[in-house]
Amino acid sequence: MNNQESKEIIKPKRVISRREFLKFSGIVVVSVGVGGCIVNDGEVEDSQGYLLVDTKKCQGCLTCMLACSLVHEGYESLSLARIQVVQNPFENFPDDINIAQCRQCVDPVCIEACPTRALYADEENGHIRTVDKNKCIGWLGCRACVTACPYEPGRSIWNFQKGHAQTCDLCANASFWNEQGGLEGKQACVELCPMKAIKFTTEIPEQLGDEGYNVNLRDEVWEALGYPAD
Amino acid sequence: MSGYTGKILRINLTSRRVSTLKTSDYEQWGGGHGIGSALFFDLVKDKTISGFDPANVVTIMTSPLTGTMAVGATARTEVQGIGVQLYPFEWFTRSGFGGRFGPMLKFAGWDGVVIEGKAESPVWVDIRDGNVRIKDANALWGLDTWQTQETIWQEASGGNDYGSWIKTGFRGEKSTQRPAVLTIGPAGESLCRVASLIHDAGNASGQGGFGGVWGSKNLKAISVMGTGNIAVADPNALIEARLWAMENYTFPLDEYNSSKSIWANMPSNLRSFPLPMLTWERPQQSRPQACMGCQAACRSRYDPGFGNESSCKETSFYIAPAYGGGQIHRLISSLPAAGGSGEILNKLYASETPDVAKQAADLAQKYGINTGELETGIPYMRDLYKMGVLGPGKQIDCDLPFDEYGNYDFVEKLIKMISSREGIGDDLAEGFCRAAERWGRLEEDLTTGLLNNCHWGVGMHFDPRTQVEWGYGSILGDRDINEHGFCPLYMIPTVAQFVLPGGVPVTAEEFAKIFSDRMTPFEDDPLMLNYSDANMYSEHIAKLVAWHRYYSRFWIQSVLFCDTQYPDFFNWAAQDYMGITGEGEPKFFNAVTGKNLSFADGIELGRKIWNLDNAIWTLQGRHRDDVQFADYIYELPSPKLGAFTMPVNENGEWEYATVGPRSIDRTKFEEFKTRYYELEGWGTETGWPTRSTLESLGLESVADELEDKGKLGEE
Repeated sequence: MNNQESKEIIKPKRVISRREFLKFSGIVVVSVGVGGCIVNDGEVEDSQGYLLVDTKKCQGCLTCMLACSLVHEGYESLSLARIQVVQNPFENFPDDINIAQCRQCVDPVCIEACPTRALYADEENGHIRTVDKNKCIGWLGCRACVTACPYEPGRSIWNFQKGHAQTCDLCANASFWNEQGGLEGKQACVELCPMKAIKFTTEIPEQLGDEGYNVNLRDEVWEALGYPAD
Repeated sequence: MSGYTGKILRINLTSRRVSTLKTSDYEQWGGGHGIGSALFFDLVKDKTISGFDPANVVTIMTSPLTGTMAVGATARTEVQGIGVQLYPFEWFTRSGFGGRFGPMLKFAGWDGVVIEGKAESPVWVDIRDGNVRIKDANALWGLDTWQTQETIWQEASGGNDYGSWIKTGFRGEKSTQRPAVLTIGPAGESLCRVASLIHDAGNASGQGGFGGVWGSKNLKAISVMGTGNIAVADPNALIEARLWAMENYTFPLDEYNSSKSIWANMPSNLRSFPLPMLTWERPQQSRPQACMGCQAACRSRYDPGFGNESSCKETSFYIAPAYGGGQIHRLISSLPAAGGSGEILNKLYASETPDVAKQAADLAQKYGINTGELETGIPYMRDLYKMGVLGPGKQIDCDLPFDEYGNYDFVEKLIKMISSREGIGDDLAEGFCRAAERWGRLEEDLTTGLLNNCHWGVGMHFDPRTQVEWGYGSILGDRDINEHGFCPLYMIPTVAQFVLPGGVPVTAEEFAKIFSDRMTPFEDDPLMLNYSDANMYSEHIAKLVAWHRYYSRFWIQSVLFCDTQYPDFFNWAAQDYMGITGEGEPKFFNAVTGKNLSFADGIELGRKIWNLDNAIWTLQGRHRDDVQFADYIYELPSPKLGAFTMPVNENGEWEYATVGPRSIDRTKFEEFKTRYYELEGWGTETGWPTRSTLESLGLESVADELEDKGKLGEE
């Protein structure tokens, strides 16, 4: 979508406030129609699911990225994967690899920033933070969630091909896979990671810093393989 | 089109013209090597030119499976063109590499790249999705391969750190990934015939001297950023196939124990455990590091980062010198193939591997030199030094510090001299056969075996006298085949007798049948796997060689299943040890492409590609009389030390037996060649393809060109 083409604001199908789009620094109070609830002061229910990773166990194969994009988009894509693995071949272990998974934050600033509640906590799916792409106005130039995410690389992915944001939904809506996803089901990255370096949990990780989300998933077998267990 | 992107990038460095070829025009060839050979045939009119000629075309080709989750086929890329390393003919040749370059090309929307011509001054190619620019490389020329990549990454990120989203285009495209870069080092710039192409820290297109070819074109590097998509016909089927492969043909990670380690690194079968294939002892502070999509890494990254991403010969070429070895060098060099070599070396040597072995690997990667050639050449030079023939002021004047042999100073000086063609480096940059020729020693040293470059100027990898499929496949082709498909046939019996109570868990007859059952269309002939003396020159062995050529040309080098893992005949994790080959390859291929290709279809396509390659070599000037090993293969028996135990059938009885000592009989080898050419439908007097064979493969235009040049095989 080329947002420079539109000369006038086109109303999306859902009714939204006529007030101007607020940027990240504002507090958003939005009232939406059917099925919604009033959001106030950024109070969002905790997600019931989280992904933990072990960056020391990661072998940098990017299978998680290939799996994520395939089950969500129906094709392979690195840029549209909702988990990103960044690596530097010349760096020393363990600084050579970083894994950027969505944290399903307890205090999701991305949801706060979203003016249309496209990015919301899905109460039918354990309050997983996810994007309703039909409500997303990123193609109009929004992308507040992309800017809002305090982590690098940002976990709200701008889908530049389709013109909407997307985030990790713990595979709740991974339609190109015949497995059930979401909290009761499987996550493609967890299932397909050959090192078992990604883990699903229902426990809320420590929110401050990385240690809650970058954990030790290595055991005595890993040590027997000759790699460090700590 | 699923799997394929539909476009091949064509770059003319002379005119600086960038254009597009349609993949659909070449799709019948499958991908990788098949497409590369077909493109080369079409684009290079005079096939007698040198590899250094600007009219030489280099193709870098992916497959429809590249960049997808097909097990073992995500990451490999095939490089082809007239190589400059091979001796005495600069054959049209190939060299593959892994990592993430091929996938990134696909994500950028390209099935491959075709390079022709020569730039006036050094250039590099900057590919960002559909946006392709040929840029001035004066600032990169002279940099090593790692510096080159880091410099390109800096430019591509626009000054941002990686670890953020980087904008790559004008329509919002972005990526977190560093560009995938394929580059030459100083060795390529000096037109070294043994220069390689390097990608990331340790992926190398090593054989053939493509580094020197790029240098002759003033091409420093190709960089690609890809933010697009690869279509998969049936995503669910692809995921199911992957899970099926993991479940039925690999051990779960948590079932690892050290008794499995010896098999874990043995090519070829589906890998279960992320153990690096290397000879140095691994520091504990490390991780496995895999090519994109691979389920079990074969190399590592370390703290400190010496040796990142190096594997196999990159790790072994200097290890015996580092330990002060000499004759033992070749034995140790073969150990990674037997698996668990790090543990074996632990037992042999008390101290930790000197860092020099890792640093030597890094030097070879940075300067961009083929470690296979260094592995055979370094002990050769040392032998000449000990003979008093080579050294400062000697008959072969050589200013290398042999008193530092095994230390860093020696290997650093050697690699720098080769890269800059300084002093004796100018000889060595030609490859050791051409160097020996300059020294007036080639004939003698190839007769005594002091120099073991036994097929087309490439060093002996497996012994042609014993591992006949390897030797024949190499000499009937263009290079050391480096195709490990039948290695389990000799490695397993050799090692099992020492480490497994009861030896190999199946009889020799069952073992042979596990292989032959999948070798369509020859599946009714298990004697193909009989390595006895009497069988060495038989039609059975001719079929073995032919099948190996067909399988490798299509499934390995065109569809790009990784040679470390495929073919998977004998698999320790599988029911009745029956590996995935035959069922696995087409399952992945069809899930991605939506086609209905059978395993046998692929074998037949491999035969077609092999015929096209032989047509190209014929046009390059090949004749059956040229198809000869180095003299020592005929004159000397294979050594007892390190002899392999293999399946053998004598007088109708199968058994495992140590093969050799034996040599190849010249006369019988000529008879074998005749048998082989008959099997292929090639002229038995010349070894050239015949019109009827070519036409039966749909290659009438190839027959026409051969006829035009007076090179059709006699019917």
